[in-house]
Amino acid sequence: MNWLAWRQHRIQFLIFGILLVIYAAVVIPSGLHFWHAYQQMVSSCAHNPANPSCTDIYGNLFRTTTDKLLIGLIPTAVLFLPIILGVFWGAPLLSKEYAEGTNSLVWTQSISRRKWLTVKLAWMLLATALLAGAFAALNTWWSKTPNALNMDRFSNGNQFGIQGIVPVAISLFAVSYGIMLGAWFRKTMVAVGITLVLFVACSHIVIPNLLRPNYLKPLSVTAPFGPDRSSSGTGVPSNAWITSQIIYNGSGREIVGDIFSAAPPQCQKVIQQAEVPNSGGRAFKAVPSPNGDDPIAECLDKAGWYQVTTYQPGYRYWDFQEIESAIYLGLAAIAVGATYWLVLKRDA
Amino acid sequence: MGETAITTKELGKKYGSFWALENCSVSVPEGRVSALVGPNGAGKSTLLKLLVGLSSASSGQSQVLGKQPAQHGDFLADIGYLAQEIPLYKSMDTNDHIEMGRNLNARFDEGFIRKRLQDLQIPLDRPISKLSGGQRAQVALALALAKKPKLLLLDEPVAALDPLARHDFLSSLAQAVADGGLTVVMSSHLLADLERVSDHVIVLASGKTQLCDDIETVLNEHLILVGPRQTVGHLGDKLSIIHQTQTARQSTLLVRGTVPKKLPSGWQRHEPNIEEIILAYMGQAKEGGER
Repeated sequence: MNWLAWRQHRIQFLIFGILLVIYAAVVIPSGLHFWHAYQQMVSSCAHNPANPSCTDIYGNLFRTTTDKLLIGLIPTAVLFLPIILGVFWGAPLLSKEYAEGTNSLVWTQSISRRKWLTVKLAWMLLATALLAGAFAALNTWWSKTPNALNMDRFSNGNQFGIQGIVPVAISLFAVSYGIMLGAWFRKTMVAVGITLVLFVACSHIVIPNLLRPNYLKPLSVTAPFGPDRSSSGTGVPSNAWITSQIIYNGSGREIVGDIFSAAPPQCQKVIQQAEVPNSGGRAFKAVPSPNGDDPIAECLDKAGWYQVTTYQPGYRYWDFQEIESAIYLGLAAIAVGATYWLVLKRDA
Repeated sequence: MGETAITTKELGKKYGSFWALENCSVSVPEGRVSALVGPNGAGKSTLLKLLVGLSSASSGQSQVLGKQPAQHGDFLADIGYLAQEIPLYKSMDTNDHIEMGRNLNARFDEGFIRKRLQDLQIPLDRPISKLSGGQRAQVALALALAKKPKLLLLDEPVAALDPLARHDFLSSLAQAVADGGLTVVMSSHLLADLERVSDHVIVLASGKTQLCDDIETVLNEHLILVGPRQTVGHLGDKLSIIHQTQTARQSTLLVRGTVPKKLPSGWQRHEPNIEEIILAYMGQAKEGGER
């Protein structure tokens, strides 16, 4: 049966093997180049911080069109890899056999249907894990430069799914659902369509937005109401993933919507003074108060306003990678179980 | 002789609320070439799929070569099956299919299939999608035979073939049967083709078994009687009438059973051929269904 699995799928494996080689040929030199350039810039900026290029290392590092193209394409390849495998490897695996009737050819050789399925699944899932692992390893290694600059591999939802071990688990998830849906509907295009919808719903909506923020109980920090709602003003470590930021007024009520209309009467005057006419929404003059603070924020702070920031600290990155991988692998295991049921219990 | 290759008892298969096969009881002795005939939708494919374990029965039992149809190698090793659409892997060539057969069957006769396909002048290195329908059918039959099966189940293997390819296919089959040790059940709605190779017949119609016996026995047990219409009732008391056609004055009856030597006046007897008998049974089922 190994021979047949190899014979049937060798072209698919070969194509993606070639894609991997091309990817590596782009990623390795580019990763070395950016990392060295970044190191050089960091050390020269340490000697000469006044150099204007030190204020925007990222912009200076990824300056040319080619650089921008690389920083776009290299991570995107890993973002799309799981669904591409789900569509081109997973969905046709069984649906093509059903659609062309070759299931009744192979199921009447002297081999059990269970063994046939096990061998096919083993080849496909093993190849998926190896390929996704190689792509993910290359992208993770390449990303050390942007990671050092942006510190967003945890807080950026897309970055989280394309580095570390999660891409392998997502790929196994996409491929196993492609296979299961192919066995269910027996038509490749139907399996492809539902795989796409399911993949987007799970790995771009439900899991990153609804599940991921809650894998571990977030930490929270209460800070005075500050003008910029960025992490720097709230005491949150810079590599953390901020999951929510809520403003409360002096009586502890959550402020929803426009903070300026919700501001207490004594601050409305300050707001009016700072406001400048603007056609597209409200705009304010940046007139610092004597102590250098924004007068509106200062007034609100005095009125007892404060904000609570919840976040996942950066040191939980690998815990989160493991938890999310376990979720995808659990979902994949359900699909594999369902595939056995569909193939063994249903008629040819 | 004497052993039965296939026995089914009240076998049934339901799809949703529709019975594709109902109360089907058949018995095929070892060594027979059985023609499974019936109109489209009679349940022929369904019966064959149940016998090879591709489908599971909704009711009743079946024994095939002494075993219950199942999905394991022990059961499948002795059976060759050819589905209606003659499925083969389109992008693979015949050599690949031979290699597949060698890998998936413990008892696969590679020498046999190579020689056979060489004799038929089928190019082994050409993708299946580039072969003619007749060549594909020959490759599929050769694959099934190379398993060295004790039972061969063929589902309308010649339906899509032109007359020459059909002739070649049936000759190949007849030759394989002559080599011995093989029981065949072959479905078709082309009666003339079946007559050439079969010695046993199963008539399925409306999802039920209408007839299942050796062709010789069937021929011996049936007669066509032609006579005046008024005296039909007189005969019907003693004989089972399978089918009758009427004109204004005359009745033609196909009857089963022992016909008295002396017939009422005006009646004549004819020996029917197998085609007439099969059509009579199919007609009977149709009328039964409409009643």
